[in-house]
Amino acid sequence: MDAIGSLLGGFATALRPEYLAFAAVGVTLGTLVGVLPGIGPALTVALLLPLTYTLDPIAAFIMFAGIYYGGMYGGSTTSILLNTPGESASVITALEGFKMAMRGRGGAALATAAVGSFVAGTISTLAITFLAPLIATVAITFQPADYFALMVLAFVSVTALVGRSLLRGMISLFLGLFIGLIGIDRVSGQARFTYGIPQLLDGLDIVVVAVGLFAVGEALYVASRSRHDRQQIVAVEGSIWMTRDELRRSWRPWLRGAGLGFPLGALPAGGAEIPTFLSYALEKRLSKHREEFGKGAIEGVAGPEAANNAAFSGVLVPLLTLGIPTSATAAILLAAFQVYNLQPGPLLFQNSPDLVWALIASLYIGNVMLLLLNLPLVRIWVKLLEVPRPLLYASILVFATLGVYSVSNSLIDVLVMYLIGAIGFVMRRYDFPVGPTILGVILGPLMEKQFRDAVSINEGSLSVFVTRPLSLTLLVIAVLALLLPYAPRFVRRLRGQRGGERLVFGSGSED
Amino acid sequence: MTDGDRPVGDPEPGRSAPAVDRGTLLGPRLIAIGLLALGILVLLDALRVGRGTGFRPIGPGFMPTIVAVGLIVLAVALVLRTTFRPDTDLAEHVAAEAAATSWPTVGLVAVALVGYALVLGPLGYILATTILVPVAARILGSRQTIRDVVVGLGMSAAVWLVFTEFLGVRLPAGLLAPLV
Repeated sequence: MDAIGSLLGGFATALRPEYLAFAAVGVTLGTLVGVLPGIGPALTVALLLPLTYTLDPIAAFIMFAGIYYGGMYGGSTTSILLNTPGESASVITALEGFKMAMRGRGGAALATAAVGSFVAGTISTLAITFLAPLIATVAITFQPADYFALMVLAFVSVTALVGRSLLRGMISLFLGLFIGLIGIDRVSGQARFTYGIPQLLDGLDIVVVAVGLFAVGEALYVASRSRHDRQQIVAVEGSIWMTRDELRRSWRPWLRGAGLGFPLGALPAGGAEIPTFLSYALEKRLSKHREEFGKGAIEGVAGPEAANNAAFSGVLVPLLTLGIPTSATAAILLAAFQVYNLQPGPLLFQNSPDLVWALIASLYIGNVMLLLLNLPLVRIWVKLLEVPRPLLYASILVFATLGVYSVSNSLIDVLVMYLIGAIGFVMRRYDFPVGPTILGVILGPLMEKQFRDAVSINEGSLSVFVTRPLSLTLLVIAVLALLLPYAPRFVRRLRGQRGGERLVFGSGSED
Repeated sequence: MTDGDRPVGDPEPGRSAPAVDRGTLLGPRLIAIGLLALGILVLLDALRVGRGTGFRPIGPGFMPTIVAVGLIVLAVALVLRTTFRPDTDLAEHVAAEAAATSWPTVGLVAVALVGYALVLGPLGYILATTILVPVAARILGSRQTIRDVVVGLGMSAAVWLVFTEFLGVRLPAGLLAPLV
């Protein structure tokens, strides 16, 4: 019951007026940016990251938690009313939610998404409260070899399970690994890939990479298609609430979605996409109104939206307790920790309990704030959907530049960021997922360190990865995850048939 | 965004062509060649870095070597998937993109951005931003220049106030230095 005492301590901190104010600013900004069309949580967090640099760590992370959750809530609004999911975990929401909006039930879709997110978010935060300290305790016994294996697993699950092509996912990952190598090697002091440019000695700032890849890349991509894409906003008619029948059809999917989303998000297994797809399939199978699926079934919004939210919270478990991000958004959050010289992992709970528990407490508070912010005020957010696209993307470019410039005051960094933005554009245009790149940039250097530590502890022998049962198990799981998408094709071959589809769990875009 | 961003009612372009036209995958092929070049460059540097350091067996050149080999292998695989065994899924995507892409728009936005970065110092944050917003919006299809100028001015002034007064971040004052 240690967790309850610590949590109460966290509430005592998080409920202080100034921190409440930061939480409110965070959820408002997160919703504000997240609701803008085509902007998902990863881009929201990347754009707002520089804003927190001048705050004290607790305030910054409380604000960040708000931005993270707010970006998610905002994303569902865009999916439902505009049919433009900002990230692939919202694709399903758009599928049924937009159809509901076309039928005049947009208000109900928004309500079930908001309440479902609240229910799932609260359940998940409860789970974090009790699970995270437990995992942190276990994780203290983890050795570098285990961390290395965990990171390999995280890479594989993000690259292989998600996205339409393993090859393109791997290319994206290796590009990120390369970018992560730039700068001085921490162990030997050797400069790598700096080519005599002094600015590169510290490596590329993660803000430069994330903002370039997500914000500028996306803006250029939208620019390239601006003559082609048209948009249609569906007006919300009637009240933003569900009928008795819709509520009755929603609550079970909320709970099932949360039950699917949290564990799958908490495992290092590819973030929020898989649970939303599973939840959709499950609700379709269980529903008494199966014929409505594809035409705007409320279960198809309630379940996946809850799963999405629960998975996003679940991702915080490996992030906080192991220091391993399992999605692009989590990778950017990890970068935020690094800015404050904090290394998430089992020791975080021992060294900075104030911060961790204030952060967890603020997740509860943020959820309540978001429910209040999204149900009665959703009509105000809907107005934001009407911001003209040209102005919106011009502003994104301005804020992207501002974010990078305010961090470094350097023209070089801004130009490098634009260059990375151009790479992000090319990747989008040719269907390379950008998530693995950002994961590679942030997790790559950590993985290299763990690998080298593991080998030096083992006196230079690589055998440690096969002799430690935990490391070996994790590596075997990683290999299986790599092969899983090809399982149907393999089974068909065994039966003597040709062909067979590759399993795809999502389109792999998280921006 | 890959699937979800097709406008409603847009017939899926490229679906009708079963055979992959070789020209379609020219873009990815160029990417593959670029990756191959990067991989070789990384490998050369990795071998240089790895030589003569006392850190054995895992020196600073180890990980770069793995990354380089990975890049080279993946680049070769991409060459194969764009020439000898074309990836039909990718070809469809590229064909759909090609129909929708307006290169002049991208190019102009890129030029505007670089120009923005270059005049940020001399002109100052507020002036440069007040110019960029309407210019970029115009490139992206806006026709209400006066509104865009007003938005640009308001936005940059607000940012200036918040960042310099409340967040303690210095932004270039430029020509407006005597005023602000």
